[in-house]
Amino acid sequence: MAETARSWAARGAWAGIAQAGQLGATGPAGVTATLLDGFGLATLIAAPGGAAALSQAIVARLGIALPAMPKIASSASHDVIWSGPDQWLLRATTREGFGSLLEALSAQAAVSDQSDARAALRLSGPRVRDVLAKGVMLDLHPAAFAVGDTGLTSIAHIGVHLWRLADGPDGSVFEIMVARSMVGSFWSWFAASAAEFGCRVSTGRG
Amino acid sequence: MRITCPHCGARDAQEFSYLGAADLQRPEGMAASEAAMATYVYQRDNPAGVHRELWYHAAGCHAWLVVTRDTRSHEITAVEVAKVRKAGATA
Repeated sequence: MAETARSWAARGAWAGIAQAGQLGATGPAGVTATLLDGFGLATLIAAPGGAAALSQAIVARLGIALPAMPKIASSASHDVIWSGPDQWLLRATTREGFGSLLEALSAQAAVSDQSDARAALRLSGPRVRDVLAKGVMLDLHPAAFAVGDTGLTSIAHIGVHLWRLADGPDGSVFEIMVARSMVGSFWSWFAASAAEFGCRVSTGRG
Repeated sequence: MRITCPHCGARDAQEFSYLGAADLQRPEGMAASEAAMATYVYQRDNPAGVHRELWYHAAGCHAWLVVTRDTRSHEITAVEVAKVRKAGATA
């Protein structure tokens, strides 16, 4: 019975796939990766013609409006991320109160909790775009992909959702979300691609 | 070949999957003759030139698009969201 109980214990999307440490080349890290865990995530799909009402409900509760373009809008505790026409991801930094928020929004949208369904990674560092260029078909240069832009695309045939956050001390900061079932394959691509630049891997919340 | 998705911008064709001709009209219900149904299901033009066709943005926004493409040069002259076009046609 003890065996059964242990095998059913909850574990994060990165467990058994990636862990904190140094990856590839030693010396100053060209890329910094933060394995994100503990966030709440849901898909929101507005009914035809219902996007404005849904956006108003989000503004009233969270103080952020749903972007009509491929953009991300953020408050201190929540992000809304465009994920297709009349579709968004809603992310909360913690899962506390997330269920009741989704319950309240379900009057305005088709809501589906995806908190355990995706793995998320935050990437920064002086060589971050060199790593991403090995797999991402989008132009991520600041002239083409601004802070707050998001894109749905694929990396190594794996569907990904990525966006650019406000710049950090090392320049551009990106977050990438992949389906949890594909995270092993994704990490295989990432680890091989980042190795030549050296990557510092840490864990974080959000 | 790159297709400019109205939602996502210019993307490589490998993000999309192809369905075929965009303007087929299904014959009306049970009244259609066998020959008309056979034509609808099997007969396709194979133009050397401008072709309107359906593409699905599978690795992006998951929208169906109507792409107007020259089959000789792959030049794309228009990309519309199929849902919008359909809504317009039935209105």
